[in-house]
Amino acid sequence: MDAGFWVLQFLNALQYSMLLFLLSIGLTVIFGLLHFVNLAHGALYMMGAYLGISAAALTGSYWGAFVLAPLGVTLIGAVLYFTLIDRLRGAGPMNQVLVTFGLIFVFLDIARLGWGDIALGLDAPAAMSGTSHLLGVAYPTYRLFIIALGALVMAVLWIILSRTQIGAMIRASVENGDMAAAMGINVGRLFFAVFCVGCALAGLAGVVAAPVFSATTGMGISILIPTLIVVVIGGLGSLQGAIVGSLIVGFIETVGAAFLPSFAAVASYLLLAAILVLRPQGLIPARGA
Amino acid sequence: MFHQTPARSIVLVLALVALALYAIYGGYFAREIVVEIAILAILAISIDVVAGFGGMVSLCHGAILGVSAYTYGILTAKLGYPTLPSAVAAIGAAAVFGTIVGWITARTTGIYFIMATLAFGQMAYTVIFKSRWLGGDDGMGGLPRFDLDWAGISMNKSLPFALYALLLVLLCYVAAAWVMRSAFGRTLCGIHSNEPRMRAIGVSTVIHRARAMGFSGLLAGVAGIIAGQHIQYISPELLFWTVSGEALIVVILGGLGTLIGPMIGAIAFVLLKHELSGHTDHWHIVVGLVLIATVLAGGRGLYGQIEHWMTRRKARGAARNA
Repeated sequence: MDAGFWVLQFLNALQYSMLLFLLSIGLTVIFGLLHFVNLAHGALYMMGAYLGISAAALTGSYWGAFVLAPLGVTLIGAVLYFTLIDRLRGAGPMNQVLVTFGLIFVFLDIARLGWGDIALGLDAPAAMSGTSHLLGVAYPTYRLFIIALGALVMAVLWIILSRTQIGAMIRASVENGDMAAAMGINVGRLFFAVFCVGCALAGLAGVVAAPVFSATTGMGISILIPTLIVVVIGGLGSLQGAIVGSLIVGFIETVGAAFLPSFAAVASYLLLAAILVLRPQGLIPARGA
Repeated sequence: MFHQTPARSIVLVLALVALALYAIYGGYFAREIVVEIAILAILAISIDVVAGFGGMVSLCHGAILGVSAYTYGILTAKLGYPTLPSAVAAIGAAAVFGTIVGWITARTTGIYFIMATLAFGQMAYTVIFKSRWLGGDDGMGGLPRFDLDWAGISMNKSLPFALYALLLVLLCYVAAAWVMRSAFGRTLCGIHSNEPRMRAIGVSTVIHRARAMGFSGLLAGVAGIIAGQHIQYISPELLFWTVSGEALIVVILGGLGTLIGPMIGAIAFVLLKHELSGHTDHWHIVVGLVLIATVLAGGRGLYGQIEHWMTRRKARGAARNA
């Protein structure tokens, strides 16, 4: 095992972490603000991938999919918000888990009806289909693009949440929703906006992942568990938590699998259980949550 | 709180008799369906014990069932021990696994409990999935059924096996009803509705929660034995979290916290699945929509809704007479 092997593993882990981040940030902020457990978040990711494939076929370009798929998923999210999510906000975790579990089933069959059971691929844009040389290894350019995109989203969200007025309003609402409403913040509209952004990011993750993993009907369920682990490890509702959590899980599942395969598979569950028992608020809890 | 009302006893007997008649006169395919219903019914009753009465929504019951099935498989198919002691040991292993998970997760509630049980269930799934000795994702075959030839009963025939599965459903129901009516069951309900108050009067909530998971695990273990003996083959898929999710759906469709509801739910679910899969490949979407509609309609489920109507009519009649 030379240095190049480790660089490769490191980049793979980083790329997987960024996908997890795009998914978990939506899930965690939705939970932090709305106290809503959305198991269908993985299904939105799947819809992002499938809508992306159709959009790419329609517009003839990857970038068409890159823009249209998150928009489409946002639209689905908006419909869900007004039909189900808004109604279930005070219904307790069991009802939320059940309804969103039902949604997983519904989306699974919608994907099968619309796109069939066969795994579908999506071509990466031509400019990124080759490999780049980085730190002495050849690495697919498209995967570097995923890493850069994740880092960009991270930075943008960080600035919005910590430096802008809307960010301050979101943080205030996570900390104490009733008080924020009493101060004149339209918490309902804020919730809706945040929910839509979360859905858009899930759709973005789906379309970005499609060229690497190809779209399957099972992708939503298989990504859901790592995403939930990220969210709980990091701390429900916390941006820094989602960053740290996705890096931890991404590295455990990628680098761990390279040199301790049998342990790595259990390690993230062990970590999840340990966090839940010893530090249920997560590693970097959102204040007030 | 649980009450074994006359209506529940009647429904229980009617359902079991109907299933037995269906198995006797329905041929091979009907017997397969009856066994499938029996496994799901026991698993759903075991989830109802913790979710309906203790408020502990567990996503690891598929794994508990799998622990029992795999223990039975290891003891019989791998090590060659006799079937009956192996089954007892396997059910014991499931109860111990449930107790341990229950004890570790007893301090967590709500979504944290759901996530913690998910973590332990998935751990068990992963360990078995990765184990070459247990067959990994190929599963394990050759699990024997009980040998009752000395009594003139051939368990390898489909009818005796279906009736045996129904008998175990009855036993599990009676056990669950008995435990839920005991002081322990009442305490569990008390912890569910007001935990600080129960602690204030000196009840150890952790021990009660762990015991509830242990008893529930015991029932799930019985389901695991039937599942292992049924097709005499087991795979890690039994332990995957969606198995628990599906069983939870059955509990909700039938009626949470009624014990009989989950059984009705299991009958409805399995029949619906087979009926729909004959017509369409897309029965998931129907189940998903029915589930969402059930929860939005108040979450009482099939049996819970009927009971709700009955008590409302009775109350209205009482009001008229007064």
